[in-house]
Amino acid sequence: MKLLSKYNRINIITTVSILLLSSLAYYFLIRNTLIHQLDKDLRIEQKELMDFISKKKALPDPLNFKDEQESFLPIKDSIPKKFSNIDIYNKEHHEFFSYRQIEFAVSINHLFYKVTIRKSLGETEDMIQLILITTLGLVVLLLLALFLINRFLFNNLWKPFSNTLHHLKSFDLSTNKPLFLPETKIDEFSELNHAVSMMTNKAVHDYNEIRNFTENASHEIQTPLAIIKSRLELLSQGEFLKEEQMDNIQTIFEATNRLSRLNQSLLLLTKIDNQQFQQTQEVEISVITTNILINYEELLTGKKINLSTQIKSPVLIRMNESLAEILISNLITNAIKHNNKEGFINIKLDDDRFEISNSGKILEVPPMSLFERFKKEKAASDSLGLGLSIVKKIAETYHFTIDYNCINLVHTVRINFNLSPNLLQN
Amino acid sequence: MKILIIEDEKALSDSIVTYLKSEKYICETASTFNKAIEKIEVFDYDCILLDISLPDGNGLEILKQLKRDNKLDGVLIISAKNSLNDKITGLTLGADDYLAKPFHLSELSARIGAIIRRKFFDGNETVQFNEISINTRNKVVLVENKELDLTRKEYELMLYFISNKKRVISKTAIAEHLWGDEMEGNNDFIYTHIKNLRKKLVDAGAPDYIKSIYGMGYKFTD
Repeated sequence: MKLLSKYNRINIITTVSILLLSSLAYYFLIRNTLIHQLDKDLRIEQKELMDFISKKKALPDPLNFKDEQESFLPIKDSIPKKFSNIDIYNKEHHEFFSYRQIEFAVSINHLFYKVTIRKSLGETEDMIQLILITTLGLVVLLLLALFLINRFLFNNLWKPFSNTLHHLKSFDLSTNKPLFLPETKIDEFSELNHAVSMMTNKAVHDYNEIRNFTENASHEIQTPLAIIKSRLELLSQGEFLKEEQMDNIQTIFEATNRLSRLNQSLLLLTKIDNQQFQQTQEVEISVITTNILINYEELLTGKKINLSTQIKSPVLIRMNESLAEILISNLITNAIKHNNKEGFINIKLDDDRFEISNSGKILEVPPMSLFERFKKEKAASDSLGLGLSIVKKIAETYHFTIDYNCINLVHTVRINFNLSPNLLQN
Repeated sequence: MKILIIEDEKALSDSIVTYLKSEKYICETASTFNKAIEKIEVFDYDCILLDISLPDGNGLEILKQLKRDNKLDGVLIISAKNSLNDKITGLTLGADDYLAKPFHLSELSARIGAIIRRKFFDGNETVQFNEISINTRNKVVLVENKELDLTRKEYELMLYFISNKKRVISKTAIAEHLWGDEMEGNNDFIYTHIKNLRKKLVDAGAPDYIKSIYGMGYKFTD
């Protein structure tokens, strides 16, 4: 629920209940006051009647107006004075009219009469009705005003907040750009912005530290690896090595190579992260693809892999040349490595996409997980599981999208060069 | 052929020296920037292996110094950084090649061989091994003056073997030399190539020089 709705809900409920309660209070208060006034009038009437009786020693003609009526009834005994409300059916109008009446006893020549004087409550009720309608109208007006003011004020007051939120949403740690938040005069938001800035700056700083650390660590690892590798090569030159020793050397050698390839791949990923491939140019993907294919030509022949290509030329994509080579090369080597003997590879290249499909085995892991680091098929466990994550990283760098599918043991990876529409808008 | 190895890691430069010495290269080492400058001022080398990150200076400065002195020494940069910038800067400054650590000694040896051929024989050197001769300009292999019909990779393989003759070369080193790092862990691919090259050599009348070394790789030897 939005803050404004929540706030409005509470606000409206409170306002409406208070207004309704006060209307109710009004109603009773006004009604009481008016009835009190009527009672006063009735007492005056009573007094006038009593004066008349004490002077004339007789009952006057009873009044009979619409809003004031008198009646006299002979009774046996005196009764106490009593005020009451009464509804009387009016045959002419076919409805009840409310009256306030006073009853009291008078004695004329030792005969008792019950005098009833009624005054119509109609006017009073009209008045109350008017007051209530006015109040209700005010309630509606007030609510409307509150609602509009809130809406306007809220949107304005919370503008710094939505600004901050907008900036936070578009914040991307990997772009290495610190978060810039516009100034605001409202203390709370200013404090929020300050805290958010501190936090993101720290995150950017830490992220850079980690990236630099990774890169430095990878660099530092290269030299000891170079030493191990070179010494193993020297060791393997020995003339009188036993089979067991050769086995050992070979095993260490392979592990070292793996380690060094791993390190190089991680270093490459870090470097892409660290934006060390900034230099971009119009790269001829078609030429790169053709050259890589020439390089692997004999490998394909050796594995009896049937290659078919539909390469449009030229296809120019604006990106870093090294990354373009790595991207295409990784996809092609991947298709070779995970192919069957006497399988096939199809490559399609046009301005919009690079698509490579190859025959292969059934996947035992979810397809898209292959693009995660260190995810790989068990069958080819001597691969590092970094090739496709490098592909993914490069694609992300240039906002290419990757589609992958596997239908009837044919694996297809498609790189869509098209920039996403919202990127073009930017 | 005289080689200067500028490398601050003694363990590594020792390995390089041991390997290159058996290729009949004369090796000298310099472990610091200053020692390296001293040596290049006084002597001429056929090839200099240059580590960029030295404890007391940047190896690229040595390269600049060489060019200022109009020295013709071939320069092969060996760097732990494998950074594109270093590579481009190095090559622009006049280095002949760039090799990232960790490398195979056999690869290093092949690269040095290529630099020396380019520099001092104008790329026209004929590499000889008994009855086999390789013309590196025309990229042809001759066995007793009979030209072999080799594929591109077979030629590269042949040259690689000759550059590392009588040495055990690992399958990985061969695979990386032929196809680069990307064909990681798929050394089986080279088996076909070795087999084909071997057959072509034997068919042309050369002895079977390529020996398979149990578990480890191959050795080109008579």
